[in-house]
Amino acid sequence: MLIFIAIIVLGMIAMYSIWNEPHKNIKDADGVKVNAVQLYSDLTKDSAMMKSKFVNNVVIVSGEVKKVLKNQNGDQIILLKTNVSDGSVNCTMEEKANNVKPGNTISIKGICSGYIGGDLDMGLPGDVFLIRCYPSI
Amino acid sequence: MMYKMIVLLMLFAFMNINAKAQIYYTKNGNISFFSKTVLENIDAENNQVISVLNVETGALQFSLLNNAFHFPKAKMEADFNEDYMESDKYPRSTFKGTITSLGDVNFNKDGSYPIKVNGDLTVHGVTKNISAPGTIVIKNGNVSATSSFKVLVSDYQIKIPSIVSNKIGESIEVKVACNYQKK
Repeated sequence: MLIFIAIIVLGMIAMYSIWNEPHKNIKDADGVKVNAVQLYSDLTKDSAMMKSKFVNNVVIVSGEVKKVLKNQNGDQIILLKTNVSDGSVNCTMEEKANNVKPGNTISIKGICSGYIGGDLDMGLPGDVFLIRCYPSI
Repeated sequence: MMYKMIVLLMLFAFMNINAKAQIYYTKNGNISFFSKTVLENIDAENNQVISVLNVETGALQFSLLNNAFHFPKAKMEADFNEDYMESDKYPRSTFKGTITSLGDVNFNKDGSYPIKVNGDLTVHGVTKNISAPGTIVIKNGNVSATSSFKVLVSDYQIKIPSIVSNKIGESIEVKVACNYQKK
Protein backbone atom coordinates (compact mmCIF):
# COMPACT_ATOMS: atom_id res chain seq x y z
CA MET A 1 0.00 0.00 0.00
CA LEU A 2 2.78 2.40 0.99
CA ILE A 3 4.67 1.57 -2.21
CA PHE A 4 1.53 2.22 -4.23
CA ILE A 5 1.10 5.66 -2.67
CA ALA A 6 4.79 6.41 -3.16
CA ILE A 7 4.52 5.58 -6.89
CA ILE A 8 1.50 7.84 -7.28
CA VAL A 9 3.21 10.68 -5.43
CA LEU A 10 6.41 10.29 -7.49
CA GLY A 11 4.34 10.22 -10.68
CA MET A 12 2.57 13.38 -9.69
CA ILE A 13 5.86 15.09 -8.84
CA ALA A 14 7.28 14.04 -12.24
CA MET A 15 4.23 15.34 -14.11
CA TYR A 16 4.27 18.54 -12.12
CA SER A 17 7.95 19.16 -12.82
CA ILE A 18 7.56 18.48 -16.57
CA TRP A 19 4.60 20.87 -16.70
CA ASN A 20 6.54 23.51 -14.79
CA GLU A 21 9.86 23.09 -16.53
CA PRO A 22 11.40 26.55 -17.04
CA HIS A 23 12.08 28.11 -20.44
CA LYS A 24 15.45 27.63 -22.09
CA ASN A 25 18.11 29.90 -20.63
CA ILE A 26 19.14 31.95 -23.66
CA LYS A 27 21.55 34.23 -21.86
CA ASP A 28 24.03 31.45 -21.03
CA ALA A 29 23.37 29.23 -24.05
CA ASP A 30 25.81 28.63 -26.89
CA GLY A 31 24.69 29.79 -30.30
CA VAL A 32 25.37 29.51 -34.03
CA LYS A 33 27.42 32.55 -35.06
CA VAL A 34 26.37 34.40 -38.22
CA ASN A 35 26.21 37.97 -39.51
CA ALA A 36 22.89 39.68 -40.23
CA VAL A 37 23.38 40.01 -44.00
CA GLN A 38 24.23 36.31 -44.34
CA LEU A 39 21.38 35.12 -42.09
CA TYR A 40 18.83 37.19 -44.01
CA SER A 41 19.99 35.99 -47.41
CA ASP A 42 20.19 32.34 -46.21
CA LEU A 43 16.68 32.32 -44.79
CA THR A 44 15.01 34.15 -47.68
CA LYS A 45 16.19 31.36 -49.99
CA ASP A 46 13.69 29.06 -48.27
CA SER A 47 16.13 26.14 -48.16
CA ALA A 48 15.42 23.26 -45.78
CA MET A 49 19.12 23.00 -44.91
CA MET A 50 19.37 26.64 -43.86
CA LYS A 51 16.13 26.40 -41.92
CA SER A 52 17.35 23.44 -39.92
CA LYS A 53 20.63 25.25 -39.24
CA PHE A 54 19.02 28.38 -37.80
CA VAL A 55 15.28 28.11 -37.13
CA ASN A 56 14.32 27.34 -33.51
CA ASN A 57 18.00 27.45 -32.55
CA VAL A 58 19.94 29.95 -30.50
CA VAL A 59 21.89 32.18 -32.88
CA ILE A 60 24.40 34.97 -32.26
CA VAL A 61 23.90 37.57 -34.97
CA SER A 62 26.33 40.40 -35.55
CA GLY A 63 25.48 43.39 -37.66
CA GLU A 64 24.95 47.09 -38.07
CA VAL A 65 22.05 48.65 -36.18
CA LYS A 66 19.51 50.17 -38.57
CA LYS A 67 16.87 51.30 -36.09
CA VAL A 68 15.96 50.99 -32.42
CA LEU A 69 12.22 50.84 -31.67
CA LYS A 70 9.78 49.81 -28.97
CA ASN A 71 6.87 47.40 -29.33
CA GLN A 72 3.44 47.76 -27.65
CA ASN A 73 4.75 46.09 -24.48
CA GLY A 74 7.64 48.51 -24.22
CA ASP A 75 10.20 45.85 -25.21
CA GLN A 76 13.20 47.11 -27.15
CA ILE A 77 13.30 46.13 -30.83
CA ILE A 78 16.64 46.31 -32.64
CA LEU A 79 16.65 46.14 -36.43
CA LEU A 80 19.89 44.95 -38.04
CA LYS A 81 20.79 45.94 -41.59
CA THR A 82 20.65 43.43 -44.42
CA ASN A 83 21.32 43.75 -48.13
CA VAL A 84 17.59 44.46 -48.71
CA SER A 85 16.69 48.06 -47.90
CA ASP A 86 13.35 47.44 -46.13
CA GLY A 87 14.24 43.97 -44.83
CA SER A 88 15.86 43.55 -41.42
CA VAL A 89 16.91 41.02 -38.84
CA ASN A 90 14.26 42.00 -36.31
CA CYS A 91 15.32 41.33 -32.69
CA THR A 92 12.92 41.56 -29.72
CA MET A 93 15.08 42.09 -26.64
CA GLU A 94 14.36 40.23 -23.40
CA GLU A 95 17.20 42.22 -21.88
CA LYS A 96 17.61 45.79 -23.11
CA ALA A 97 20.86 46.76 -24.80
CA ASN A 98 22.03 50.11 -23.44
CA ASN A 99 23.26 53.01 -25.58
CA VAL A 100 22.58 51.39 -28.96
CA LYS A 101 22.30 53.77 -31.85
CA PRO A 102 21.83 53.35 -35.59
CA GLY A 103 25.22 52.77 -37.19
CA ASN A 104 26.63 50.85 -34.19
CA THR A 105 27.91 47.32 -34.65
CA ILE A 106 26.33 44.88 -32.23
CA SER A 107 26.07 41.17 -31.46
CA ILE A 108 22.68 39.83 -30.39
CA LYS A 109 21.85 36.39 -29.08
CA GLY A 110 18.33 34.99 -29.37
CA ILE A 111 16.12 32.25 -30.78
CA CYS A 112 15.64 32.51 -34.53
CA SER A 113 11.98 31.98 -35.43
CA GLY A 114 12.60 32.29 -39.17
CA TYR A 115 11.76 34.53 -42.09
CA ILE A 116 8.32 35.82 -42.87
CA GLY A 117 7.47 37.75 -45.99
CA GLY A 118 5.77 41.08 -46.10
CA ASP A 119 3.38 41.87 -48.88
CA LEU A 120 5.13 41.96 -52.21
CA ASP A 121 2.14 43.61 -53.95
CA MET A 122 2.60 46.48 -51.56
CA GLY A 123 6.36 46.45 -51.89
CA LEU A 124 7.13 45.43 -48.34
CA PRO A 125 9.92 42.86 -47.88
CA GLY A 126 9.76 40.59 -44.84
CA ASP A 127 12.07 40.26 -41.84
CA VAL A 128 14.02 37.50 -40.17
CA PHE A 129 12.89 37.39 -36.55
CA LEU A 130 14.88 36.75 -33.41
CA ILE A 131 12.96 36.43 -30.15
CA ARG A 132 13.98 36.47 -26.47
CA CYS A 133 17.17 38.34 -27.30
CA TYR A 134 20.16 39.37 -25.20
CA PRO A 135 23.07 41.62 -26.05
CA SER A 136 26.02 39.29 -26.68
CA ILE A 137 29.57 40.22 -25.79
CA MET B 1 4.06 72.10 -74.89
CA MET B 2 6.79 72.55 -72.29
CA TYR B 3 4.23 73.89 -69.84
CA LYS B 4 1.97 70.87 -70.36
CA MET B 5 4.85 68.50 -69.76
CA ILE B 6 5.79 70.20 -66.52
CA VAL B 7 2.20 70.02 -65.32
CA LEU B 8 2.06 66.34 -66.26
CA LEU B 9 5.33 65.63 -64.50
CA MET B 10 4.14 67.43 -61.40
CA LEU B 11 0.91 65.49 -61.51
CA PHE B 12 2.83 62.21 -61.71
CA ALA B 13 5.10 63.22 -58.84
CA PHE B 14 2.07 64.10 -56.75
CA MET B 15 0.33 60.80 -57.57
CA ASN B 16 3.47 58.96 -56.57
CA ILE B 17 3.58 60.65 -53.17
CA ASN B 18 -0.09 59.88 -52.74
CA ALA B 19 0.36 56.23 -53.68
CA LYS B 20 3.13 55.85 -51.12
CA ALA B 21 1.11 57.46 -48.37
CA GLN B 22 -1.66 54.86 -48.65
CA ILE B 23 0.28 52.05 -47.05
CA TYR B 24 0.74 51.59 -43.34
CA TYR B 25 2.62 48.67 -41.84
CA THR B 26 4.16 47.12 -38.76
CA LYS B 27 6.53 44.22 -38.33
CA ASN B 28 6.16 44.06 -34.57
CA GLY B 29 2.42 43.89 -34.12
CA ASN B 30 0.92 41.90 -31.26
CA ILE B 31 -1.42 38.92 -31.47
CA SER B 32 -2.26 37.01 -28.32
CA PHE B 33 -4.69 34.28 -27.47
CA PHE B 34 -6.36 33.15 -24.34
CA SER B 35 -8.05 29.94 -23.37
CA LYS B 36 -9.83 29.43 -20.08
CA THR B 37 -9.78 25.89 -18.76
CA VAL B 38 -10.57 24.02 -15.59
CA LEU B 39 -6.94 23.46 -14.65
CA GLU B 40 -5.13 26.51 -15.88
CA ASN B 41 -5.57 29.53 -18.14
CA ILE B 42 -3.44 29.45 -21.24
CA ASP B 43 -2.20 32.75 -22.53
CA ALA B 44 0.32 33.19 -25.33
CA GLU B 45 1.70 36.21 -27.09
CA ASN B 46 3.38 36.92 -30.43
CA ASN B 47 5.05 40.32 -30.86
CA GLN B 48 6.47 39.68 -34.31
CA VAL B 49 3.35 40.10 -36.41
CA ILE B 50 3.70 41.66 -39.84
CA SER B 51 0.64 43.65 -40.83
CA VAL B 52 -0.01 45.81 -43.87
CA LEU B 53 -2.94 48.21 -44.14
CA ASN B 54 -3.91 50.05 -47.30
CA VAL B 55 -6.01 52.98 -46.12
CA GLU B 56 -7.21 53.71 -49.66
CA THR B 57 -8.68 50.28 -50.43
CA GLY B 58 -9.11 48.88 -46.91
CA ALA B 59 -6.96 45.85 -47.72
CA LEU B 60 -5.64 44.43 -44.46
CA GLN B 61 -3.17 41.59 -43.95
CA PHE B 62 -1.50 39.85 -41.08
CA SER B 63 1.12 37.15 -41.04
CA LEU B 64 3.04 35.58 -38.20
CA LEU B 65 5.35 32.69 -37.41
CA ASN B 66 3.65 30.20 -35.10
CA ASN B 67 6.90 29.33 -33.34
CA ALA B 68 7.25 32.94 -32.17
CA PHE B 69 4.29 32.57 -29.78
CA HIS B 70 5.62 32.80 -26.25
CA PHE B 71 3.88 30.92 -23.44
CA PRO B 72 4.32 31.25 -19.70
CA LYS B 73 5.42 27.61 -19.58
CA ALA B 74 8.02 25.90 -21.77
CA LYS B 75 5.96 22.70 -21.94
CA MET B 76 2.91 24.58 -23.28
CA GLU B 77 5.10 26.14 -25.96
CA ALA B 78 6.53 22.77 -27.00
CA ASP B 79 3.10 21.10 -27.09
CA PHE B 80 1.65 24.00 -29.09
CA ASN B 81 4.35 23.81 -31.77
CA GLU B 82 4.87 20.06 -31.94
CA ASP B 83 1.43 18.58 -31.32
CA TYR B 84 -1.26 21.16 -32.07
CA MET B 85 -0.01 23.66 -34.65
CA GLU B 86 2.62 21.36 -36.20
CA SER B 87 4.74 24.45 -36.76
CA ASP B 88 7.39 22.60 -38.80
CA LYS B 89 4.76 21.64 -41.35
CA TYR B 90 2.68 24.82 -41.12
CA PRO B 91 5.08 27.56 -39.99
CA ARG B 92 2.79 30.53 -40.68
CA SER B 93 -0.65 31.78 -39.83
CA THR B 94 -2.06 34.48 -42.08
CA PHE B 95 -5.08 36.68 -42.55
CA LYS B 96 -5.95 38.39 -45.82
CA GLY B 97 -9.00 40.57 -45.89
CA THR B 98 -10.55 43.99 -46.06
CA ILE B 99 -12.10 46.56 -43.79
CA THR B 100 -15.70 46.44 -45.02
CA SER B 101 -16.68 49.65 -43.22
CA LEU B 102 -13.77 51.76 -44.46
CA GLY B 103 -16.06 54.75 -45.20
CA ASP B 104 -16.62 55.20 -41.45
CA VAL B 105 -12.93 55.87 -40.80
CA ASN B 106 -11.45 59.32 -41.27
CA PHE B 107 -7.69 58.73 -41.32
CA ASN B 108 -7.09 62.49 -41.23
CA LYS B 109 -9.00 63.12 -38.01
CA ASP B 110 -8.13 61.97 -34.50
CA GLY B 111 -10.65 59.56 -33.10
CA SER B 112 -11.62 55.99 -32.32
CA TYR B 113 -13.48 54.31 -35.17
CA PRO B 114 -15.26 50.97 -34.88
CA ILE B 115 -14.65 48.80 -37.95
CA LYS B 116 -15.74 45.49 -39.44
CA VAL B 117 -13.20 43.20 -41.06
CA ASN B 118 -13.84 40.24 -43.33
CA GLY B 119 -11.36 37.87 -44.91
CA ASP B 120 -9.55 34.55 -44.98
CA LEU B 121 -7.82 33.25 -41.90
CA THR B 122 -5.31 30.47 -42.53
CA VAL B 123 -4.19 28.46 -39.51
CA HIS B 124 -2.71 24.95 -39.48
CA GLY B 125 -3.08 24.74 -43.27
CA VAL B 126 -6.84 25.35 -43.14
CA THR B 127 -8.39 28.51 -44.60
CA LYS B 128 -11.73 29.85 -43.32
CA ASN B 129 -13.60 33.02 -44.09
CA ILE B 130 -14.14 35.01 -40.91
CA SER B 131 -15.61 38.33 -39.84
CA ALA B 132 -14.43 40.26 -36.83
CA PRO B 133 -15.12 43.61 -35.21
CA GLY B 134 -12.25 45.96 -34.50
CA THR B 135 -11.27 49.51 -33.70
CA ILE B 136 -8.98 51.91 -35.51
CA VAL B 137 -7.54 54.72 -33.44
CA ILE B 138 -6.06 57.83 -35.04
CA LYS B 139 -4.01 59.92 -32.67
CA ASN B 140 -1.71 62.73 -33.79
CA GLY B 141 -1.63 61.15 -37.24
CA ASN B 142 -0.59 57.74 -35.85
CA VAL B 143 -2.70 54.75 -36.83
CA SER B 144 -3.31 51.81 -34.52
CA ALA B 145 -5.79 48.96 -34.66
CA THR B 146 -7.21 46.44 -32.23
CA SER B 147 -9.54 43.50 -32.59
CA SER B 148 -10.83 40.61 -30.56
CA PHE B 149 -12.59 37.52 -31.88
CA LYS B 150 -13.14 33.86 -31.13
CA VAL B 151 -11.79 30.90 -33.06
CA LEU B 152 -12.92 27.29 -32.73
CA VAL B 153 -9.98 24.90 -32.52
CA SER B 154 -11.94 22.23 -34.42
CA ASP B 155 -12.50 24.58 -37.41
CA TYR B 156 -8.79 24.39 -38.18
CA GLN B 157 -8.40 20.63 -37.73
CA ILE B 158 -6.23 21.09 -34.69
CA LYS B 159 -6.36 17.80 -32.83
CA ILE B 160 -6.06 17.84 -29.10
CA PRO B 161 -5.69 14.43 -27.42
CA SER B 162 -8.55 13.82 -25.01
CA ILE B 163 -6.11 13.23 -22.14
CA VAL B 164 -5.18 16.92 -22.21
CA SER B 165 -8.36 18.33 -23.71
CA ASN B 166 -9.41 19.55 -20.28
CA LYS B 167 -6.30 21.74 -20.34
CA ILE B 168 -7.29 23.50 -23.57
CA GLY B 169 -10.58 25.16 -24.31
CA GLU B 170 -12.48 24.44 -27.53
CA SER B 171 -12.86 28.12 -28.21
CA ILE B 172 -9.84 30.43 -28.21
CA GLU B 173 -10.08 34.16 -27.78
CA VAL B 174 -7.70 35.97 -30.15
CA LYS B 175 -6.62 39.57 -29.61
CA VAL B 176 -4.88 41.80 -32.13
CA ALA B 177 -3.07 45.08 -31.40
CA CYS B 178 -0.95 46.85 -34.00
CA ASN B 179 0.70 50.27 -34.06
CA TYR B 180 1.25 51.16 -37.69
CA GLN B 181 3.84 53.34 -39.35
CA LYS B 182 3.61 54.95 -42.74
CA LYS B 183 5.51 53.30 -45.55
